[in-house]
Amino acid sequence: MIDFMRQALELAKSALNTNEVPVGCVFVRNGKIVAQSKNSVNETRNPTRHAEINCIDEVLNYCQDRNIEYRSFFEDIIVYVTVEPCIMCAAALKNLNIKEVIYGCANDRFGGHTVIDVGDIYPNSYSLTAHSHAQEAMDLLKQFYKGTNPHAPQEKVKKKKTKQDEEKL
Amino acid sequence: MDGSLLPAIQEPPIKKIKPSTNMTINFYLNEVTSSKTPLKVVLNDDISESLPLIEVYTGHIQNPKDISKTVLLLNEKLPIKELQHLKRVKKQDIFLCPITYTNEMTIQEYLKSLDDSFADIFDSFAVIHVPKQPPKLKKQFEDTKEYWPCNFHPDKYLEKLFSDNFFTQEESNMHRKYMYIALLNAKWYVMNDASIHDVPNVTLVVDPIIASVVAVATDNRKKHPTQHSTMLAIDNVARTQNGGAWSPDCELDEETMIPNSLLQCLKAEMPEINFGHRKFKSNRVTDDNNSGTENNETSSLDSPYLCTGYYIYMLREPCVMCSMALVHARAKRIFFCVDNERDGGLKSKVKLQTVSSLNHRFEVFTGFL
Ligand SMILES: [Zn+2]
Ligand SMILES: [Zn+2]
Repeated sequence: MIDFMRQALELAKSALNTNEVPVGCVFVRNGKIVAQSKNSVNETRNPTRHAEINCIDEVLNYCQDRNIEYRSFFEDIIVYVTVEPCIMCAAALKNLNIKEVIYGCANDRFGGHTVIDVGDIYPNSYSLTAHSHAQEAMDLLKQFYKGTNPHAPQEKVKKKKTKQDEEKL
Repeated sequence: MDGSLLPAIQEPPIKKIKPSTNMTINFYLNEVTSSKTPLKVVLNDDISESLPLIEVYTGHIQNPKDISKTVLLLNEKLPIKELQHLKRVKKQDIFLCPITYTNEMTIQEYLKSLDDSFADIFDSFAVIHVPKQPPKLKKQFEDTKEYWPCNFHPDKYLEKLFSDNFFTQEESNMHRKYMYIALLNAKWYVMNDASIHDVPNVTLVVDPIIASVVAVATDNRKKHPTQHSTMLAIDNVARTQNGGAWSPDCELDEETMIPNSLLQCLKAEMPEINFGHRKFKSNRVTDDNNSGTENNETSSLDSPYLCTGYYIYMLREPCVMCSMALVHARAKRIFFCVDNERDGGLKSKVKLQTVSSLNHRFEVFTGFL
């Protein structure tokens, strides 16, 4: 079987190389990758461009190209993401009735399960599983926090650089 | 996306309007400008609701001379970090600890296990209810008095925020005017897009520093499941900062990122309103070790960054996804007209602005109708 989490981690690494918060994600359907993306918040200057949101757009394009009705298509998708989806992404995935989410490390600051449980609000909940590659996913984040985020305003970078960066998860 | 969000205006559109939807919008337009109710902050539960209580042990001191040394000993051996708002002493009664602390032991045994000298100080013990959280408002502080003496640090800003006159009349009128524009925007879509049957949600972004509309967006979830008005508005703001992820499906005014024809209509209706954003100055650097020159710092300080400092006006309370998007975007204040009972993230289902681990908090106001 293909190691989809490995693929997500590779995407996270490439995000790190372009100074993005290193989070990667692949959407899998019937054992086949249908979308893969990484965080692109700094590139787009849009704080909502998380890996999962980017993947949703990829799936929509995929469906449009093939003339597939996307609603039922999403219901068979398993999401592999290196960090637990934030509250925003969790709500988006739940609204799409995604089948399953498998994540690398927990998201203590923004997690849609850890911080507040979005599953209480959207009842048709996907199953959420922590994956064994947690340490590797966490190490990538730590590596990012050690550096500064060159895109935040200078004055804030100086004062509290780690906070700034963590906010971008 | 199929690019059909904004079909060209054909024929006189008036005849095509769904009468009930239009009546709803007209009702709102009238209410938003004429209503005299004060705009109110959406309350944190720990401020709006009655004080939660917790059961604690107290001990009665035989000899008043022992009070100060006992307090010192307690602060050393039995500090209660989570209840620091409680004073330790009430006349000859001493607050000891929550009843859960002693496990299987009696309070006497528990104190003795901490220090032998506790043994002869108290002549009796009691279990009483005390406030679990520090009082935040004067009114709450008054309520604590019937239980136990509390420390209280009045917060002028908070007192004002939770009063009925947080905004001056002039400020209120301004907020209502921006909400009116959001409604006009909804009306325009209803009139111009035959596929819209209900009042669509609209997000209007305002930069209060220059009193100007920065961006506006209308719900497009029928065609794209995550293109709620907030998500689109945040992307339009990104576009004013040389970013953006979604390609617009109609021609936008370059300065305001508002569809040209809509902008003309809004400007005609509201000539006194400014549209446009502060100039974005990039502080993007290629060299990670950049030391931040004088020039660099000034430019990034007065240049907009995400939605920092911006006010957001919405017809309907944003859903959980959109509410969290506004946290990520660091909006300053959110205003909305109607509750979203199904999945509202700022009032109805959860109040993200009160979740302490999210380190960006904004203020949320409603009460337009
Ligand atoms: Zn996310
Ligand atoms: Zn939404």
